[in-house]
Amino acid sequence: MRLTYSCVISVGLAAVGLSSAHAADDLTQPIVADLIQPAFDTLAHETAALADVAATSCHDATASDTALAEAYGRAFDAWITASIWRFGPTETDSRAFSLSFWPDNRGKIGKTVGALLRSEDTGILAADEFAQFSIAGKGFYALDYLMFDTQAQTLGSASYRCALVGAMTTDIAATATAIDADWSTGFAEQLSPPSARYQSQDEVRQELFKTLTTGLQVDEDLRLGRPLGSFDKPRPRRAEAWRSARSLRHLTLSLEALKPLAQSLAVGAPNLQDKLTRAFDKALRRAKALEDPQFAGVSDPASRFRVEALKQEVADIRALVAAELGPRLGVAAGFNALDGD
Amino acid sequence: MTTRRGFLGGLMAAGLTPRASWADVGLPDFVTAGLEPNGQYILAGLSRSGEVLFRHPLPGRGHAASAHPLRPEVIAFARRPGRFADVLDCRTGRQIARITPPEGLHFYGHGCFSEDGSRLFTTENDYENARGVIGIWDSATYRRIGSFSSGDIGPHDILRHPDGYLVVANGGIETHPESGRTPLNLPTMRSSLAYLSFDGALLEHVALPTDLRLNSIRHLALAPDGTVGFAMQWQGDLGDVVPIVGLHRRGTAPRLLAEDDPRLRNLNGYGGSIAFAPDGETVAVSSPRGDRVQIMDVHSAEMTQEHNLADVCGLATAGAGWVATTGLGQVLSLSPEQARPITTGATAWDNHLIPVG
Repeated sequence: MRLTYSCVISVGLAAVGLSSAHAADDLTQPIVADLIQPAFDTLAHETAALADVAATSCHDATASDTALAEAYGRAFDAWITASIWRFGPTETDSRAFSLSFWPDNRGKIGKTVGALLRSEDTGILAADEFAQFSIAGKGFYALDYLMFDTQAQTLGSASYRCALVGAMTTDIAATATAIDADWSTGFAEQLSPPSARYQSQDEVRQELFKTLTTGLQVDEDLRLGRPLGSFDKPRPRRAEAWRSARSLRHLTLSLEALKPLAQSLAVGAPNLQDKLTRAFDKALRRAKALEDPQFAGVSDPASRFRVEALKQEVADIRALVAAELGPRLGVAAGFNALDGD
Repeated sequence: MTTRRGFLGGLMAAGLTPRASWADVGLPDFVTAGLEPNGQYILAGLSRSGEVLFRHPLPGRGHAASAHPLRPEVIAFARRPGRFADVLDCRTGRQIARITPPEGLHFYGHGCFSEDGSRLFTTENDYENARGVIGIWDSATYRRIGSFSSGDIGPHDILRHPDGYLVVANGGIETHPESGRTPLNLPTMRSSLAYLSFDGALLEHVALPTDLRLNSIRHLALAPDGTVGFAMQWQGDLGDVVPIVGLHRRGTAPRLLAEDDPRLRNLNGYGGSIAFAPDGETVAVSSPRGDRVQIMDVHSAEMTQEHNLADVCGLATAGAGWVATTGLGQVLSLSPEQARPITTGATAWDNHLIPVG
């Protein structure tokens, strides 16, 4: 398949292990306390604020509905920052998927939200009904379609649109609150093995390392790779949240969330921390200089190379992480994952 | 204490050697390829309790294996594009034979025996002609006795159906050893299931709808009622959400499982191994690219459970559910409800866990 891990040659199965001066608890606890819990606290707070704005100040739930759009932007930012932590509480009841139905290669969001706006079905608006509704009609990407799709903005009465946004944002806030509550009322303890979830510190490190590698893979292959497509067939409409022009912003937020994780995982190895910091900063500088919020430039050979160069920066971070951080943690994975057969 | 080997040795010395069969005690319950920490590729025999009973060094990376239906022998196949397959005595791990395909062909990593054990069938690539081949071998002498078309490009897994024919997963991907494992035909690729008679007649050819033509049907499993389960590997864009598991019965259209479950995304477009539960009511698929085993109900087509297991790939029907193996050296017992580690060692377990005996 297309996954390429050009720098992963060794299958780091030998337990390399951290030196005893850096017990795994020293590694894990700051990540939980300083990165994970604040990210989900912020998400719970911003999604509650969004639901509140939707209930009190919604006009027509289009791109020009300023107060709503601003609250939406802050809540979506909080989700992108928190979304790298895809284990434990986000996986219960497919919560992360209900916040985040993306990529949507079969166009299910448009069909689901479009059908609601056309039928103005009020039966699904109550919170307990909406909680059971199709995942394609839930979460930030459904909201993005409803508020920012050119055609969808013309569908449905303002009152129905606002009622639907009310149901969507209430559901988003409930999901975010549930994730946040699980983190603060028990899941954090699971990360001190042996626990029901993790047998050993190795498994915890593996989970955290995988968070980093998966996050970088999403950035390279999905956030950048999907809109880039091929030179002959660029796919700008595959950029994440292109309707609200948030594609580049999401890439930046994700890299900013992954950078402190990488630094924390390299604790005790200042040279590696420096290298990681430089690699992230290089990618972030290039992202900042791109000035192409929805990666529309992928279609123009004159600007496409700049998106490709950004993708290469992310690939370089991945290579560094695989070559140096993985072996240090003793969790360089992928004997089977890399095989492809 | 009388060890089994000592006991057998005694029998042999006394000239009382019984004909070896799978009924012998102390034989492995599974075989699997692996990688030792020192870089040596092996085929290992494992007991149900995860104990390694033998380790046979292989000249390169292995992939799958197949058990002779009568004699306690297994054949371990090279990972594609390898050109060796080692036949081993399962009582000792001793090598009985090594087979190599004719010039211009390489193995794909899977094979199966005929019901009476007289013939062995191997999936092969005739790479100069981009043609899928099934090699036929005499399993008394392990000499090649012929070959026929697999019915399509890229045959990978193959199984013997109890109704008296072969089922072949034609992955559809053209490769050539000169360009490694790079797919050469994505613009025209189309995967298929082929049902073939033992002399190579194409009995039925099943392809998925055109929008799934890049879903490579790669691995097979057999339910007690004869239903064929198949696992796929998506060759289209990363992030596309596509079904990974399907079921098929001859004369009907394939059924794709868990298509609307968002957790399908967790597989990252990649099914590694597939195996039914002993009762055939559920089927499990592993994905080392998603660190998951997902269990799906064959009647409702719904996903009923997923287990999060790092670098999991090997999967075999056993006990109340399955036994799974990982690239991190774990052997686990799986039920629809839980995953329970049995052993963890230093050997990285490769793609497939093959029940024997």
